[in-house]
Amino acid sequence: MYKYILESIENINWLAIIPLVIFFIFFVAMTYNVYKYEKGFINKMGGLPLEDDGDIEFKI
Amino acid sequence: MKGNPQIETFQYDNEIVRKFAMACTVFGVVGMLVGLLLALQLVFPVLNFSLPYTSFGRLRPLHTNAVIFAFVGNGIFMGVYYSLQRLLKAPMYSKALSNFHFWGWQAIIVAAAITLPLGITSSHEYAELEWPIDIAIAVVWLAFGINMIGTILKRRETHLYVAIWFYLATFITVTVLHIFNNLVIPVSLFKSYPVFAGVQDALVQWWYGHNAVAFFLTTPYLGLMYYYLPKAANRPIYSYRLSIIHFWALIFIYIWAGPHHLLYTSLPDWAQSLGMVFSLMLIAPSWGGMLNGLLTLRGAWDKVRSDPVLKFLVVAVTAYGMSTFEGPMMSIKSLNAITHYTDWTIAHVHVAALGWNGMMTFGVLYWLIPTLYDTKLYSVKLANIHFWIGTLAILFYAIPLYVAGVTQQLMWKQFTNDGFLQYTNFLETVTQIIPMYALRSFGGLMFFAGLFVMIYNLYKTAQSGNFKPTETASAPKRITYVKHKGEHWHRWIERRSLTLSTFTLIAVLIGGMVEIFPMLLVDENVPKIATVKPYTPLELEGRDIYIREGCVGCHSQMIRPFRSETERYGEFSKSGEFIYDRPFLWGSKRTGPDLHRIGKKYTDSWHYNHMLDPQAMSPGSIMPPYPWLLEDDLDLSLVNGKIKALQLLKTPYPDDYPENAIADLKRQAKQISENLAKEGVKQDRLEDKEIVALIAYLQRLGTDIKNPLVEVK
Repeated sequence: MYKYILESIENINWLAIIPLVIFFIFFVAMTYNVYKYEKGFINKMGGLPLEDDGDIEFKI
Repeated sequence: MKGNPQIETFQYDNEIVRKFAMACTVFGVVGMLVGLLLALQLVFPVLNFSLPYTSFGRLRPLHTNAVIFAFVGNGIFMGVYYSLQRLLKAPMYSKALSNFHFWGWQAIIVAAAITLPLGITSSHEYAELEWPIDIAIAVVWLAFGINMIGTILKRRETHLYVAIWFYLATFITVTVLHIFNNLVIPVSLFKSYPVFAGVQDALVQWWYGHNAVAFFLTTPYLGLMYYYLPKAANRPIYSYRLSIIHFWALIFIYIWAGPHHLLYTSLPDWAQSLGMVFSLMLIAPSWGGMLNGLLTLRGAWDKVRSDPVLKFLVVAVTAYGMSTFEGPMMSIKSLNAITHYTDWTIAHVHVAALGWNGMMTFGVLYWLIPTLYDTKLYSVKLANIHFWIGTLAILFYAIPLYVAGVTQQLMWKQFTNDGFLQYTNFLETVTQIIPMYALRSFGGLMFFAGLFVMIYNLYKTAQSGNFKPTETASAPKRITYVKHKGEHWHRWIERRSLTLSTFTLIAVLIGGMVEIFPMLLVDENVPKIATVKPYTPLELEGRDIYIREGCVGCHSQMIRPFRSETERYGEFSKSGEFIYDRPFLWGSKRTGPDLHRIGKKYTDSWHYNHMLDPQAMSPGSIMPPYPWLLEDDLDLSLVNGKIKALQLLKTPYPDDYPENAIADLKRQAKQISENLAKEGVKQDRLEDKEIVALIAYLQRLGTDIKNPLVEVK
């Protein structure tokens, strides 16, 4: 079985591997960054849909 | 932030929201009614009425287009126009553009409702409309985009909420998809040929087709989920961080998944594998989004018991989770081998369409109409009744079709102990599942009935309230934001809508380019077969009749390399056989058998009699009759133009062929009509009729590779 896997390595299309790697790096970097967000900002953004009706109270 | 901002008063436009809400409801009725008729036609073929305009093949694209672009499309715009203004604290950029968008979109829907039953179609699924309407779509869509981006640019809220990212991604990606999948050479106002042929056309079409699902039925509705779910539950989304990851991962991955519609076809293996891997990866962001929606209700599930809006939204998000789990599973090659071409696919799309899009639209409407009319919902009880009818209807719709899909696939693949197919007649596998089709129609009828319960309830709600076309609001002017020390880099993107749009475009283009460019540029991907020749003018006309009648809706032309298929249909299909196929006609559902090797399998007279009365030749068949093909004369006015257009696309007809094409066509038609006469078919001027062209095409199908290679000197 492992022989078969090793034999087929040269047939792996690099075109398919490269985007997978790009996505993996992109995903990890994005997740890391997203978790570095300031808490206050996240709370403000999450609350946006709830503060949009008619006259709004502002916190400046 | 520094300084004391000046408070500005402005007015939200509610009139445009109401207009789209009405259009959404009206076209919901139309789209589902046509769907119900189609479902019943499969049980009672007599409901095809022996008329061209009401036959299954022509009505199916009307149903899909009406539901996708008219019902869901108007639903998107309804939801976007309401939430966008409020999330940005700004009225729409241009009222004129809003109205142009509304009336333009409805005009396109009407054009579709007229042209599709007339058989004017490009046959690309979910992109059937011919080129003049495609141009109109591009113009109206651009008006929507300009209006949205204009509103974003003059907003009062510094940062863009995640729903708006989804709206932007929808606009950008649909624009790219629409343009690439509709690149055609027009022959006349109502006929065109795509610039790509065969395998390449298939790849571009399913890159489009899948992403129409992704960026028309999913991303805008996710935007609606991120706005209306917190709104209805009166609490912020569970995790705003997760929503950012959801957004980027989803749009990056979705664009790659198209080839899962073409597994085991003649598409090169590497493209199939790529499509499968990315489809599997899609589970992660999709479920991230679903969980984010459901977890928003943590600690508030008691509200779901009493609030019908939340009930609809919860079922919608759950249906989203189910179909985004099922989709990737169906993309696994070995599972796809048994689900593809069967009713499993129809069940899958309807869990998504009825559950995710339908229930979400209803939920938003139940929230929006009382809000717009400044009143309470007329009857919570009726809304609850609608909820239960709708939810049960989805089960009544989907479960029979899962049973039908599995049953039929097992029958297709069943061999006897001696190694022969057990069910040699395809029809046996169809008649077996007709009771399931009947149950499915009942599910459809229930869902349709529920719609009227909602319409009545919302009408009464509107009557009890007072609609104000505009709503006054005030907010401080946006201050030019100055980057502060240690600020997170992503905030820079969020402030700049155009930067966000550019990044979105890059994310979606990477997938498109890596998959599609090699297919278009590397010849090795489509090995040529020397005996495969272009269609004769008569066969070409026959092929265009096949397209006009929507035969592709029920018959595939793609034999997969399985023994169960090669035994039933013949040699498996090869990519080199389709190089003159504009458009490709591989199909995605086998309500009838595959037709790729139908050529020379039956006599000409068999086809003649079969088209006149399918049940006479195949008792129990559910195929509609096509008597008009025997009565109508073949239109020869476009023959020259068609040959010229194909020459432009490098189909190797001789240079002087356009002038000789009609003579050639008449010669072949005469030959076939003489053949038919010999076989006992008696009809005056038979050689002038459309049926002769269709027979010429059907008898040619899949026969080229059987011809001996003749050296041309």
